[in-house]
Amino acid sequence: MNYPVWELYFLNSGTVVAVVAVLHVFVSHFAVGGGIFLWLTDLKSFKEGNIALRNYVRRHIWFFLLITMVFGGVSGVGIWFSIALSNPWATSVLIHNFVFAWAIEWVFFIVEILSLLIYHYKFDVLSDRDRLKIAFIYAVAAWLSLFVINGIITFMLTPGEWLKTGSFWDGFFNPTNLPSLFFRTAICIMFAGLFGFVTAVFEKNQILRQQLLKYCAKWLYVPLPFLFISGFWYFYSIPQNARFTNFILNNQTANAVNVFITASVLVYILALILVFKASQLIQKIAVFVLLLVGLSWIGSFEYMREYARKPYVIYGYMYSSSVLVNDEERINKEGFLKLAKWSTIKEVTEENKLIAGKEIFNLQCLSCHTIKGIKNDIVEKTAGLTYLGILSQLYGQGKILDYMPKFIGNEKEMEALAEFIASLHSKKDDKLAEFKPLKENIIIPPFNPEKNEYVLLVWSTLGEKCITDSDRWFSFLYPGSSFQAILIKRGKKPEILSEGIEIQYVVQKGYENPSKHSDFWKYSEFLTGKKIAENTGLTGKALKGVFDYNKDKKVFYVEGVPVLPYRDDGVFNPYPIFEAKAVDKKTGKILQSTLFVAPVSTELRCFICHGGKPRWNGISGISDETAINILRIHDRNHRTKLLEEALKGKPQMCQKCHEDFIVKSKGIKGHNSFSASMHGWHANYIPWKDERACNFCHPNDAKGNTRCNRDIHAKLGIGCTQCHGKLDEHASSVLLSQEETRTAKLLLRNLKPETPLYEIKPRKPWIQQPDCLNCHVGFQKPEKNVKAFNKWTQDETELYRNRKENSGKIPCTACHSSPHATYPSFNEYGKNRDNIQPMQYQGIPLPISSEMKCEVCHKVKMQGNYHHSNMLRSFRNKKALLQ
Amino acid sequence: MNQIHLIPQSEPIPAPSEIFIFLEQLFFLIHIVIINSILGVSLIIFYKWNKNQDFFDINKPLVKKIPILFALGINMAIPALLFLQVVFGHLFYTSSILMGTFWILIIPFLIIAYYSSYFHYKKFGVSNYAKLSLFLVILMIFYIAFMFVNNLSMMEMPEKWTSYFSNRKGTILLWSVSSIYPRFSHFIVASLAIGGIVYSLYFRKSSEEKLKEGLKIFAYATIIQIATGFWFFLTLPENIMKKFMGEDLFATSVFLFGVLTAFISVFFSLKGKLKLSLIFLILTLVFMIINRYNLRVFHLGESFNVSQLKILPQWDVFAVFLVIFILGVFVILYMLKISVLKSKRG
Repeated sequence: MNYPVWELYFLNSGTVVAVVAVLHVFVSHFAVGGGIFLWLTDLKSFKEGNIALRNYVRRHIWFFLLITMVFGGVSGVGIWFSIALSNPWATSVLIHNFVFAWAIEWVFFIVEILSLLIYHYKFDVLSDRDRLKIAFIYAVAAWLSLFVINGIITFMLTPGEWLKTGSFWDGFFNPTNLPSLFFRTAICIMFAGLFGFVTAVFEKNQILRQQLLKYCAKWLYVPLPFLFISGFWYFYSIPQNARFTNFILNNQTANAVNVFITASVLVYILALILVFKASQLIQKIAVFVLLLVGLSWIGSFEYMREYARKPYVIYGYMYSSSVLVNDEERINKEGFLKLAKWSTIKEVTEENKLIAGKEIFNLQCLSCHTIKGIKNDIVEKTAGLTYLGILSQLYGQGKILDYMPKFIGNEKEMEALAEFIASLHSKKDDKLAEFKPLKENIIIPPFNPEKNEYVLLVWSTLGEKCITDSDRWFSFLYPGSSFQAILIKRGKKPEILSEGIEIQYVVQKGYENPSKHSDFWKYSEFLTGKKIAENTGLTGKALKGVFDYNKDKKVFYVEGVPVLPYRDDGVFNPYPIFEAKAVDKKTGKILQSTLFVAPVSTELRCFICHGGKPRWNGISGISDETAINILRIHDRNHRTKLLEEALKGKPQMCQKCHEDFIVKSKGIKGHNSFSASMHGWHANYIPWKDERACNFCHPNDAKGNTRCNRDIHAKLGIGCTQCHGKLDEHASSVLLSQEETRTAKLLLRNLKPETPLYEIKPRKPWIQQPDCLNCHVGFQKPEKNVKAFNKWTQDETELYRNRKENSGKIPCTACHSSPHATYPSFNEYGKNRDNIQPMQYQGIPLPISSEMKCEVCHKVKMQGNYHHSNMLRSFRNKKALLQ
Repeated sequence: MNQIHLIPQSEPIPAPSEIFIFLEQLFFLIHIVIINSILGVSLIIFYKWNKNQDFFDINKPLVKKIPILFALGINMAIPALLFLQVVFGHLFYTSSILMGTFWILIIPFLIIAYYSSYFHYKKFGVSNYAKLSLFLVILMIFYIAFMFVNNLSMMEMPEKWTSYFSNRKGTILLWSVSSIYPRFSHFIVASLAIGGIVYSLYFRKSSEEKLKEGLKIFAYATIIQIATGFWFFLTLPENIMKKFMGEDLFATSVFLFGVLTAFISVFFSLKGKLKLSLIFLILTLVFMIINRYNLRVFHLGESFNVSQLKILPQWDVFAVFLVIFILGVFVILYMLKISVLKSKRG
């Protein structure tokens, strides 16, 4: 931001640096090791009086000079030129802090140059003694230049105390200086052998050639143990967090590690070919291949070293985007462009957004990323992300995967950059129109309070059963709704019946064939571990059947009914209706029948960020494109092969690895729970924290196809966050329950919950939820501005959907209905779609027995708050019913 | 956009700026003389090229020196550029980026030139490609010199930096700045002059004729160089020109002394006096180096002044550098002693 940017989009300046640097270090290590090699080999020839060996030295110097002095020398200047073009500010810091070190290095360099020139040009003229002295001076000077440069390079990775003191000595003699020096010295010796092969292999005398090759192989093998030891020493001198970030989280480093290990093995195996007798041609080819392997070896090492200091160019001091760590806060506050000297735009407006985005891209991204270029192509990296996906990526950048620097600047600048990157994509975002639910009237079943002796109450245990509906690719929620029911024999002392009766259910017409609309049954074997018959749920229940009786809970129940929101006539309705009948088993007489709603949604709007559009008729579900994008990103970030497996026809259940109570999965130890992973990960990325964030994944967007939060609370303006917390609070609560796993800590690190983290109580997903009584203390009217967040049920039994009233006989949900759909509910698919039973039994959409309608069950008015306190009263929010 | 706002913020420097400026100029002087020698000798050899065996026999030892001079020339450029970057780095990096594409090409071109000089020497009198490789050496140096002239000029002229906003590809050159052409010519002609004197020096003991020939080349080239210098002078902005015409006493004196010593060196060279020509040439070069620095200061004017730099001294490290520098000089002298002197005796 201090300098202009060399605007190379295809071959960015960072790549120029990489190419020049790798070639240079390959040669420069040879220059150092080769110096020692020449001196010692010359000394050996002198001591042994070995003329042939001396001639080899003579020839090798010429090769050495042409490679190291010409190419090595100039490419060294090339690094300097290229880093100054790519990252001038960091270069300036290195020059100004270490100018005298560079100057010292130059002194060694001139001594090197002159001694090498003398060694070469005066080789035959000088006495043995003097010649060896010159060779020795070269070797020492070359190693000393390594000593100096090593101090400066390692400073960039581990500036150590310099960050506090600014002292030259602290910076130079930094924590990785010594291990790196040993490691590089070992590399130099190894490369001396490697390059020694080149001259040796051209020796015409076969016996001599073989001797020379063996001699060079020794140079390759002797430093091997030192390479190992100093390599580990070096690695473990890097600060732990840098190691974790760049060697565990960053896949690009992992690739370099693989190349490094493979090349190491190859170098040492290939070298053996040269030790054993083989034709000169094969040996020549082997040497050529060895050099290439050697180049990739050093390239991968330097790559790892460079990446080890990400997201910084000077660790802890300057980000690789050329922003000083100390300036970050100020820039975020005042704006990046305002403070960037070379930006034409100082403030983002609607009109200049794209140009502003480009300016930011140039200044913060271009040194590492290209545009449709050869390395780190930003278009490829953001493929599969929409504008909002890119914006989220920018928001979350550097938080979990912190090898990338965080975006630095204000909100508008982030939006401008996202818009610019999105504009580079050839595929534009699909625009989805507001969904208009088709309202359908329900004919309320009849009930005659005088004649009918029974009340049948049936409800869904969840206010909205959600289904992933991307079964070909992955699943985390498969079809399978659960319902409960009780049958009450009316009377002054009503009786809850359990024996001699059967409760039957059947879905409304058009919903009988879910397998026509979903791939779940095709892939059930891989998703659930067993093949499931079409139109049947995991429990064997179908769309028509009989309730079971749970003796412990004393309710009729049915689980795993695979109802979907898709109707055969093409209508989407996430509130299908079931008919339930209570039948006398002996006589077959229908005691009571009713209708109940089975809320089921496939509205997971992953496509908003991950691209694509809804799968089923463009309305709902996760399309192939969206799912592939998601798997690709998971594979990239977590080194899984989910996409590959899915393409082979073996999709996976996410909970196979991630523990989840609701699908009874234990997952794999060490992995966060599914909820913690999903909320924790996405909270780091989604830039909004209010209900907009909830509604990306949960089916409650005001323009979406489900609008599931539909009860009186929603009507009164009480949204998700008042009970569940804002996204960061919500995510923090579940992450805190993960027993401090490494990844949970990582996901928590950058969250900024409004409630301080230390005050947030850990919560087990699905088991610990906010309790109704948090607000309705003593079943009373809540205080003003009260919040249910951060006070959790102790265990599963305390959950609203599992609780019963005072007598312990009637579940809360029997009279109040499902969570988020409690009576009175306001369903957008038709009035009273969720209020069928109160309408049937008492003619008003309020909780059963509300408005003191005790007679629904008792046939007469009763006194006393028997079921729970404060129940005998008039409904408070009647006004809401009129809206 | 006001160019003052474009000037990047600078880093604190580890010693007073005078030290770095002195060192930059010192090493630049050595560097430029070596590069002038390479180009000058190459031009002379190229010009005099004939297929006569004598030509190859006589010139082979001189040709051998070209790659060696390359090694030294590049080496001496390093401290010059290093110390320049300490004081003027923020300006220099900026101008480098503005012409980044041309600037980075210096590296491969330099490698080509360097290898060509070795090829030329090895194949001198053996292969027909030798002349072509020498041509390549000359061409590459022309390119590099032109880029350096552009970069150093652009560094001194922040007012030209706004071109960046219409061209960010790193291909900005100062084609429209008239002083670029005489400045570049000033280097080429200087190379001929220095080449002449090197030629003369090299053959001083073996051939009186060649000694004179070299001095003649030096004399004529220097006369042309004086003319080129005036052309350069005339292309300068009026306010800067005035500085050298009495407004700045020190700058005017240095300038006039430089021109005077140049004339004197021409006088002695025409008389065939190598030593005196050399002495006045060196004096001229020293004056011209100071002159060049004065021009930089005038160009920068209010945009940048070295007094703006904050100093965070590193005297201890500086002392270590000096000790190592002195040791280095001793080692070099020792090596020269055992190689040059002993081999001569041998």
